[in-house]
Amino acid sequence: MSALPRGAAHLAFDGGALHVGTGPGRRFSIDARCLQGPPVRAAYAHVCALVDTGAALEFDQPEVQQVRRDAMAWWIPLLGDALVCVTTLALDEARYGGAITVTREPVDWRDDPFARIFPGTLLRSDVFCEVAPPAGPVIERYAGVAWPGGSFAA
Amino acid sequence: MTLEPGAAFPDLDLPDHTGRQRRLSELAAGDPVALAFSRGWWCPKEQRHLRELTALQDEFEVAYARIVVVSIDAPEVQAAFRAGLGARFTFLSDADRSWLARLDLLEASDTLHEPYRPTAFTLRPDLTIHRVYDGYWYWGRPTPEDLRQDMRAISRAVREDFRS
Repeated sequence: MSALPRGAAHLAFDGGALHVGTGPGRRFSIDARCLQGPPVRAAYAHVCALVDTGAALEFDQPEVQQVRRDAMAWWIPLLGDALVCVTTLALDEARYGGAITVTREPVDWRDDPFARIFPGTLLRSDVFCEVAPPAGPVIERYAGVAWPGGSFAA
Repeated sequence: MTLEPGAAFPDLDLPDHTGRQRRLSELAAGDPVALAFSRGWWCPKEQRHLRELTALQDEFEVAYARIVVVSIDAPEVQAAFRAGLGARFTFLSDADRSWLARLDLLEASDTLHEPYRPTAFTLRPDLTIHRVYDGYWYWGRPTPEDLRQDMRAISRAVREDFRS
């Protein structure tokens, strides 16, 4: 039984497909906003995660901090209008299991900084909606919600 | 428009450095904000000051606080400038000067660019003005220590579990 943060949305990844909520594969929590609007049909989802349950790092590890900095510094600007949303994949309040970047059109995924940590699998998806990119420079998580989701707003 | 401590700062609606339309309240996202109006990329004073803000982002990134810069540069110019600085915060482009007159922040001495008068505000998460800095003369700008003190005061006031 994992300890997923309350209020988060959940996905399962079986190595070849994503399943919203429960489903076969490894379970993650994501920035819930990525599922709360009109979905972008036939979007490209680059899932940088593994199904192996041992593939995990703490969010506080320097490489996991740096990949979030890189996302705000150049990855998201590089994607421009192609970006639909980006979310990390949380295993619990402390551990990082990967990230997903979603775009409307094909991009050069070799640039994806999240793939430095766990390799990417490219999927087509109909579940993700457009979310404004993080304003920066905050890389910390809000009460354990998967970055860049959450806030301390009332 | 009154831009004094205690007043509500307007919820600016401008494109960011990628051209995406944003609102200031969305960028604040429940956190305190250091908001800097900047002349533009060409000004040596702005280059110096923004390098200082960029150095400070390493503290903001772990402290649940935001930095936002507004200038009259076009988004693509801001994107290049931001990349050169290594900044990870948001730039808002008022290339159309849509807010400049309403905010009464025109720098009248530069008729070539018609830029913003360098002015900085520290804001509560609800965009209430905490402090104002007139940076027309460089020494009027907030130092890193000024911003630390303002972020501390705002956080102490708005975070229920902040124990002084």
